[in-house]
Formats: sequence, C-alpha cells, structure tokens
Amino acid sequence: MKVEKISRSPIAELKRHVDVIQEAFKQALIPDRITIEYPRERRKYPDNLRGFIVLDKSKCISCFRCAQICPANAIQMGFYDNFYPSVDYTKCIFCHFCVESCPTGALSGSNLHDMAFKSLEDMKVKTTQMMRLPTIIREDKQTVEYFVTKREWRLVRRKELEDLSVLRIIPKIKPKRAFCEEPESCLGCRQCMEVCPHDAIVMERCEVTLEGEVVGKGCILKVTEKCVGCGLCVRQCPMKILTLKEVE
Amino acid sequence: MQEWQFVVPEKKHKKKFFGNLKTEVIDAKLCCHCAACAAICPVYGITAGDKPIDFPNWVKDCVDCGACIKVCPRWEYKPLNGIGNYVEAISAKSRRFRGQDGAMVSEITATALEMGLVEKAIFVSRDEDWRTKVITIREPSQLYDRKVTGTKYCYADSIPALKEAILSSKAVAFVGTPCMVSAVRKMQKSFKKFERVKLVIGLFCTENFYHHQLSEFLLKHKGVDLMKATKTDIKKGKFIVRFIDGSRISFPVKELEEIIPSGCKVCQDFSAIESDVSVGSVGSESGFSTVLVRTEIAKAIVDKIKEKGTAEIKEPDLGAVQKLCDYKIKIHPYPPKKKEEKGEKG
Amino acid sequence: MINEIIATLIEIFSSNSMQIPLIQPLVDYLMEIPLLNILVALILWRPFFAVVIMPGLIVLMLYLLYIVWFERKLTARIQWRVGPLEVARPIRGAIQALADGLRYFFQEAIVHRDAHRPYFVQLPILAFIPILLPIAFIPAGNAVGIKTPYAIQLIVAFLALIPITIIAIGWASNNRFAFVGSVREALMYVAYEIPFIIAVISMIYLYGSGDPYVAVEKQSLLPGAILNPIAFLVFLITMLMATSRLPFEIPEADQEIAFGPFVEYSGMLFGLVMVLAYEKLYIMALLFVILFLGGWNGIYCDLLGDLNAPLWLFIKTIVVISILAIVRSMYARYRIDQTLRYSFSWLIAFSIVALVVGVVAGWIV
Repeated sequence: MKVEKISRSPIAELKRHVDVIQEAFKQALIPDRITIEYPRERRKYPDNLRGFIVLDKSKCISCFRCAQICPANAIQMGFYDNFYPSVDYTKCIFCHFCVESCPTGALSGSNLHDMAFKSLEDMKVKTTQMMRLPTIIREDKQTVEYFVTKREWRLVRRKELEDLSVLRIIPKIKPKRAFCEEPESCLGCRQCMEVCPHDAIVMERCEVTLEGEVVGKGCILKVTEKCVGCGLCVRQCPMKILTLKEVE
Repeated sequence: MQEWQFVVPEKKHKKKFFGNLKTEVIDAKLCCHCAACAAICPVYGITAGDKPIDFPNWVKDCVDCGACIKVCPRWEYKPLNGIGNYVEAISAKSRRFRGQDGAMVSEITATALEMGLVEKAIFVSRDEDWRTKVITIREPSQLYDRKVTGTKYCYADSIPALKEAILSSKAVAFVGTPCMVSAVRKMQKSFKKFERVKLVIGLFCTENFYHHQLSEFLLKHKGVDLMKATKTDIKKGKFIVRFIDGSRISFPVKELEEIIPSGCKVCQDFSAIESDVSVGSVGSESGFSTVLVRTEIAKAIVDKIKEKGTAEIKEPDLGAVQKLCDYKIKIHPYPPKKKEEKGEKG
Repeated sequence: MINEIIATLIEIFSSNSMQIPLIQPLVDYLMEIPLLNILVALILWRPFFAVVIMPGLIVLMLYLLYIVWFERKLTARIQWRVGPLEVARPIRGAIQALADGLRYFFQEAIVHRDAHRPYFVQLPILAFIPILLPIAFIPAGNAVGIKTPYAIQLIVAFLALIPITIIAIGWASNNRFAFVGSVREALMYVAYEIPFIIAVISMIYLYGSGDPYVAVEKQSLLPGAILNPIAFLVFLITMLMATSRLPFEIPEADQEIAFGPFVEYSGMLFGLVMVLAYEKLYIMALLFVILFLGGWNGIYCDLLGDLNAPLWLFIKTIVVISILAIVRSMYARYRIDQTLRYSFSWLIAFSIVALVVGVVAGWIV
C-alpha cells in the first residue's frame, strides 16, 4: 500500500478544509449511526457463538475429562450419586473445550450469552442448575445486524426476535469400551483394574499352558460390561496398550 | 467382553517381587545398574541415577506385578561370554563424524536414520562436568555435537528413556553396554512392544563407574578436574584423560579397582554378543573402530555405509578382541571366588 | 413611609421599563396588585432585564444547559454515536447538564494535601469576576446595564484577565500535569491575545468608536463580516484559541495532559471550572455578534417591541456557538509549537492586514 505524499499548497489545503466541512455537515444531517441501544435492541450474534453450558445428567459417565481439559480450571466435579460437573462462571472463558471433549455428549452449548447473576457466589453454577437453561427475560423489541463492506457500515433493524432457548446440536456419539490392543505387552501391573472407578476390569487367576503343558502361573484380566468408556485406564496403563473402542 | 492373559513369574522368597529382586540381585551384588527394572516399573517406584538401584518404601508401594524380574538380566544369571556370532567384521572410521575412535556408532545411527529404518535413537550426552544425560537423536545433524559422541565411563539411564521412546515411536535404535543389551533382549522376549527397538548397538565394555566415585577419585588421587577434560579413554589397560590445553594424564586402570561396582565384577560379556552390531576400539588402530556385524539389519546398514562411502574401511585384528574376551572371563569368574583364595583374582 | 419608598422605586423602574406590546395587557393588570407590581416593575426595568435576564444570567444558565447537551449530541452524531440519551429519554437527554450539575453537588470536593488551599478553593470563584462583569456592559437594543461608549474596549480588557486566573489555578494545584497545563495556557495566551486585540481594534477603527450602539448602527446595510472579512476570520480563530476548543484544545487536552490545570478538581469546584470556558465563549460570541454579524439588527416585529433586540442577539449568538460546536468535531488537535508558529507568523500578519483594511474602510464609510 503506497502512502501518498500530501501536497501542502494552499489550494490543496483549502480543498481539504472544504472537504472536511462538507463531510461534517453531511454527517450532522444524515448520520451513519452504528450504536446499538442495548437492551432495547439486541445484536444478532453469529450462529455458533458459544454460550451457556447445559448438562444432560443421564449421559454423564463421570470420566472427569471436562474438568481436566478446562483451560481456566472452571469445572469442579461435585458428588451426588456419582461425580458430575459444575461450572464456575467467574472463570469460564466459553471455549467449550469441555463440550467437545465430552465422550458421550452430556455437555452441550446454547445460544445464551448475556447472563446476569445476583451475587458472586451465584456465579458458581451448580450441577442441578446446569441441567436446564436459566430463566430468560427479554427486553428487546428488535434485532440489529451489522452489514459491513469496504466503504461503509450499516445497521439493519428487524422486528423479529431471536429464539434464545435453542440448544446446539450434538452429533450422535456411540458408546465406547476399553480394549487391549497388544495383550502380549501387558506387564501384569493391574493399574487399570485399580484405577477403574466402576470396577469394570476384573482379574482371575489361571494357569499358563504351552502346548498342553502347564508352564507357570498367570492371571486373566477381563473388561466387563460395567465399562462406560471413561478412559481412565487408558491414561493409566504404563505400556499404553489400552484404548477405547466403539461398542456395536 | 474382552479378556487377556499375563504370566506371573515365580517368586523365590515370600516377599513382594521387588523384595525378591532386592534379595536375589541387588543384595547379592549382582546388579549391573542397567536400570531396566526402573524403566518397566508401572508405578515408577524403582529409582536409578548415580546411586545404587533401590525402591524406597517398596514394602508398601510395590504393586507386586513381577515386571522387574521379567526384565532383569541378572535374575537367574547365566553369564554370556565370548566373541559371539557375526557375519562381518570390519575396522572403520567415519568420514563425517568425530567420536571416541572412529565414531562408527554415530555413523551407523546416522545411516539408519537416513535409511528410515529407525525414527529415534537413544544416545548418551554429557554436561560440562562429564555427568551423563540421555538424549533422543532424531536427525543425523545432532551427532556433530562432540558432547553427544564419545565414550562416557559412567552409568546413564538409557533404558528408561528407551521405554518412553517406544511408546511414541515405532522404530527406535539403542546404544548401550553389554548388560543393557541383554536387558533389552529380555524385555523384547517378555513384552511385545519392545520389538519396536529395531537396532541395538552394543559397545565393547570391561567395566563402568558411578560418576560421583570416578570424579572424586580423579580429583583426589590424580588431581584431575573433569571440567577441563575433552576426552577420556581406556586403552591397553590405561586410563587416559586429555585436557583442553593439550596435556594428558594416564594411569593404569588397576588403580581404579576399588571403585569398580560389584555388578561389573561378575560380567563376562566383553563384546555385547546379544546386540545387532558391536562397536569398540580393540582390534583397530588409533582413530578406527572395530565393527562386528551380527544380524541382517546391521548388515544392511553397513552395506549402505560401504555403498555411500561415508566411512573408511580396513581389516580388523580380531585376535586382539578374542584376547580381551578371554581376559574378561578370566578376571570375572562366576560364581565369584572368595577373597581368601588369592588365586586368579576377579 | 414604606409606601413612599415603594412608590419612588416603582417610578424609577417604570421610567426605564421595557416596552413589550405583546404582554402589555398582562403587565398592566399585574401593576394593580400591590406587592406584585414592584416585582414586575423590577423585572421589566431595563438594566435589570439586561443584566439578569437577557442577555444576562438567566439566559446564561439556559445557554449552558443547551450548549452542553447540544455539543455532545452534535459531535456524537457526526462520530456515528448517539450522545447522552438516558437521563430524560422522552426528550432525548436534553437535561443532561442539569443531571451533571446535580451530581457535582453531591460529590466530595477534595482539596489534596499539597495544594495551596486558599487559592485552590477561591480561584475558580474569583475567575468568574472577569467573565461575568462584561455582562453589565453588553447592550441589547434598549436594554443595557451600564451605558458607556467604551464598552468594547472594556470587554476586551476583562477577557484579558481570565487566563491569569487559569494559570494561577494550575499553579495552586501543585501537580505536574497542572503545571504543564498552566504553562501551555500561558503560551496560548501570548499566542492569541495580540491578534485578537488587533482584530478588535481594526473593527473599532472601522466603526469609528468603541460604542456597541454605533457599531450595530453602522451595520444596518452590510454586516461587519463583509466589511472586513479578514478580521472576521482572525477573530474566529482566536475565539477558538481563547476558549480552549478544538482544534486548539491545548491546555486541557484529555489525552495529552490529563485535563491540564484543572486536573485536581472534583465535586462542585469541578463544575465551576467546567463552565468557565463555556461562559468565556458566551461573552466572546456576544462580542462577535455585535462586531461582525449585525448585533441585534433583524426583522422588526411590532408585537415584541423592546424584546426584539435581545431575542435577535440571543438567536445569533446561539447560531454562532452551534457552528463552533460543529468545528469541534471536524478538526484534530494542533501541537503547541504549531499553534505558536502559525499564530506568530500567519495570524499576526492577517491581523495587521485586517487593521489596514479596517482603517481604510473606516475612512471610506
């Protein structure tokens, strides 16, 4: 982009003065106003702007992934019959990493962005409050949208209001279960069994046979149906031979 | 519902498995400090480093899995000795790298990386004080650093680094002393994931030292400040240290007798007979390394080296190698002779 | 006894009373009522009318109310904003100045420890003296406080006293920013005073006397702006400089010097210093209208009688000030060295040319 040299001749200066006066009077008479009179009008936000987080308790498997991945440490797990997340909105940055990392789709986002809390304590939203959208009080009478081009900014005001109670769509997620990909590398340390919060991995003693002959003692590890696919054993395995596989 | 099996080794004592290891190997003065047990321990309880292997508070914290016993080369120890099988023996000097003698370890690793046979290599580097530091080589260019190439006569925890490397990479190369090579082979037999170690380079070795003991001995008895040293050598029974200003000091290795760890004193494997390729200075002239090619993958690499001409090739003197193998069997008998019998000392 | 005093007073008042045919019946009716008649006579007494009502203090208040709101709304409109809106939403925030003033009443006026306490507190009040005194001299048709043939010179003399108080205010605050603001104000004072005085003198030469009545009479055919356009321009520019309005907002630039000499003021004292500049602008605008725009000349309406002149004066002043409000949003701020340079080179040159034109035109006309 070239910067033009400004000529300093009196004619050019006078012309510039005249231009300024023209522009000022034009704007004084017909202004291009871009202020939005919130809350009487509301701006139309982009379609996928991340908002309040809603929990579907029946799908949560207490895998703790949301709490672990939250970059602002805003999710605490509280104990009811099992561990469920609660979001602290003094810290939440609305990145929705928790929503994306949830393996069962229990957490979902919504279109609510303007939230008001009566006190600082109320901002630590508990699990029971997260299970539905909060009360929506609307004061807006119109919706405002910006149309921005290279030359100008324009506001377009429309009478229809946006529906704020829509939840974002979560893709269909299949349940997963723990699966050992390389049993020959198993150390036999049983850390997967110890760390499983649902006691889904069980051990049985057995005898190791080689061509029909008993050569030693051993154990069998089994992944039972109690497995919900939380992935804690996958993280814990020191040889990294466990993964999660989709159940048919 | 998936199920899989694992084998539980037999205990020799009524303790947890680390207790067994401690009694049979560590307290029996057989431990060679290869740190394979420290690498495999699932709760990371076994500690290595510049001190003897130990598991503090093992009575409570050991989970009794038995993995340490499955990988320890000194559990039910049957010493290997001799020059071993090889398909080719050459004496070579790398044209691009500078190392201890001919820098052939670096040359073989670099060629393996370039051929795509391995993605990573576990090497040992050092700091200013000649303390060992394990590093991962991904590019041949990293081997031009003179701190990376060259022998360090101290223990290094290469095998724990190897275990981390195989979790993330599918083809890894490894350089180690004969005891470490035996440990890696045992790991490969017990746990399939270690088959990702595609290339095992063994070094000719008579003994190793603890860093704190070696540096203290050199400082107190020989007045050597390792910060000023550029190269350490053991050649023809002499320990030689070269300094920055060009001077050198040399003394017989026999003077280091008292600080040789007990685990080395029962080892009879001089030429790393379980490796894919063995490299050392014995049997070659100054500036050249003897290379014993044992398996097919090593042969492919050495053929590539010859094809590209990245090393100068000569004939080695295998008689000297054989002599040292026999010497090591002589001085390190197993089971060790008692001190009263003043015969051929171990 | 009291009746006699009242009677004499009413006579004095009625002899010099404003004649407004529109409300004359009402006035006649009210004069019958015993106590109200003295009040009404007082209000319609010409000097009182001129000084207190128009163009005096009450109109000054209304003007302040208007200008604060109008300027903010106008600049907001040009800058794509809305301006003050929420205070009285149905009338689009027109009484914003009142809300501001009320707030200043309730705020604590802090006098910080390092300030020179007597000057800090008294100077804003003292500064009003040279600002408000000219109101006694400015005539509006028949309504005038003190009639003197040297009114214009007196106004210029009073206006020259004001920057001294502003510099002293900055000094009393004992603050770095206030000090720098004072220095800048002193520099600006030097820069604009000379062209200003020369421009006024040129107009005095043109009209032949410093009497506002003579000046307005001589503009019955052509306004002073056409008779001496150069002085018109020079006066306009020095008017912007004198009242610290953009593009010459140098002593109290918010982004540069943290509001300059007035940085330590809060509460009612801050309210006082805020209106200093506006009131100076009012006086200068009145002078401007009298000298250049024909004063109170305008279409004469029989119904209004004596009220014509003040009303026309008021309307013209409001128009002038509104145009100055728009200038604020058009231009960027000049640097202090630029203003000094242009003032001492171009402005003085133009003002001397204006003087020559004034002398020549005065000799012709």
